[in-house]
Amino acid sequence: MKFIKHHLTFIFPMMAILLGVEFFLVFDRTTTNYEQELREGYSMFVVAKEPISIESFQKLDSHISQREEVKKEVLAKQIAEGMSKSSADKILEALPFFYNIKFDSYLHTSKLEHIKAYLEADGRIKRVETFGNSYGASYTLFSFIKFTFKAFVIFMSLISLVLVIKQMEIWNYEHKERMQVMETFGAPIMLRSGVLFKVAVIDALISTILTSGIFVFVKYRWAEESHIDILMHMQELLFQPIDFAILLAMSLFIVFISVYLVVFSTKGQLQ
Amino acid sequence: MSNSIVISASGLTLSYGHTDIIKDASFSIKKGEFVFITGPSGSGKSTLLKSLYGQIKPTVGELIVGGLDMEKISHSKLQELRTHLGIVFQDYKLINEWSVAKNVVLPLIIAGYSIDVQMTQAKRLLNHVKLSDHIDKYPLELSGGEQQRVGVARAMSKNPFLILADEPTGNLDDYSSNVIWDLMENACQQLHTTVLVVTHRIPNVFSIPYRHFIIENKGVYEVH
Repeated sequence: MKFIKHHLTFIFPMMAILLGVEFFLVFDRTTTNYEQELREGYSMFVVAKEPISIESFQKLDSHISQREEVKKEVLAKQIAEGMSKSSADKILEALPFFYNIKFDSYLHTSKLEHIKAYLEADGRIKRVETFGNSYGASYTLFSFIKFTFKAFVIFMSLISLVLVIKQMEIWNYEHKERMQVMETFGAPIMLRSGVLFKVAVIDALISTILTSGIFVFVKYRWAEESHIDILMHMQELLFQPIDFAILLAMSLFIVFISVYLVVFSTKGQLQ
Repeated sequence: MSNSIVISASGLTLSYGHTDIIKDASFSIKKGEFVFITGPSGSGKSTLLKSLYGQIKPTVGELIVGGLDMEKISHSKLQELRTHLGIVFQDYKLINEWSVAKNVVLPLIIAGYSIDVQMTQAKRLLNHVKLSDHIDKYPLELSGGEQQRVGVARAMSKNPFLILADEPTGNLDDYSSNVIWDLMENACQQLHTTVLVVTHRIPNVFSIPYRHFIIENKGVYEVH
């Protein structure tokens, strides 16, 4: 019973950290996906006196990634419907150049305002229109949620880390004399800390498998049956094979750091 | 320094913080000698012993053990030196989670000997210390005297060139004390192991020649 309790008191906080990491990964993937949708749905409409190449736009701001020209002929044809060909030609000649420009990342509204002002200051550009009202509101809400979630995950991980270290202190107490005796007889650090490593690595592996299991269950069973739109829509983003490797690496990293902390704190005199 | 000198101290001072425990001590001990160090409680006997296996570094002066300067010794060299020492503690310092046999062969485990060699050596040594019936038991199942005999067997398991014993018979009955003195005498006489014992009093019956140092007023003096 004591044996199981000792393992669980390490496994639970380790799982809490790994759950935090996995939530973070899923959230990051989901928000990256959402950011892309927002970014793709946002554009600036530029009216120019002369043709402007994508390179020229990028010289004005490096975040500009795409430039789509709106064909003047199509506009002129619609405006000159029912008129003579010469009138249509005159309209086409009089029309400025129209461009839709897009950006390489999800930009803050103040940055967008800055880009707009910069474009308007260019002599070749007559006018810039943005479609930013819903974008601004989404950005604010989205940034707030993202910050709050990340802060929560970090806070939860820190609390769990404290619990892991507490458990390590108990192990320290249990193994201190044994490790010091071994040190006195010249045992190298790996031999002295062998038992701690073995126990901690097994617990880290169990924590990783359990955490991955929870997310695999959520992805393949719960998400499908939940009827929650976002879960069903984002099912693919919930857990990916690389996540197992990331969680395992993270848990082993915590184990190695914790065991070395314990081992070095037990160095010193036998009482 | 001659090759036959195992321990050499010259102007040695050992301190805890700003308090000197041993001051300006000079002595040398040769291979195969049996040495008793006596002195009142708190005189610094154990501190001197700890300095010999590198637990405490000299504050001033020189201390050479097995040809290594204990003040300048690197961590890896100290680790290596300790694998050639046999240390016996007053309170045994056995690993309670390990069997008696495994405790005895700890130095062999550290040195990477095979299980077969370990088992052969464990049986031989436990037979020497008259504990062959206890090979699979755990330390807490043994009496104090029996535990100390396991501790002595452990100290001798890798044929060390130097055995350092801190009050090895301090809490023991006459039978266990005699077994331990016999073992140490044999190691010294037959294997030419240097044995240095810190103790309150020298046993009444001791069959081999020995040297006696006394610690008084922070100094280490030989009694002739």
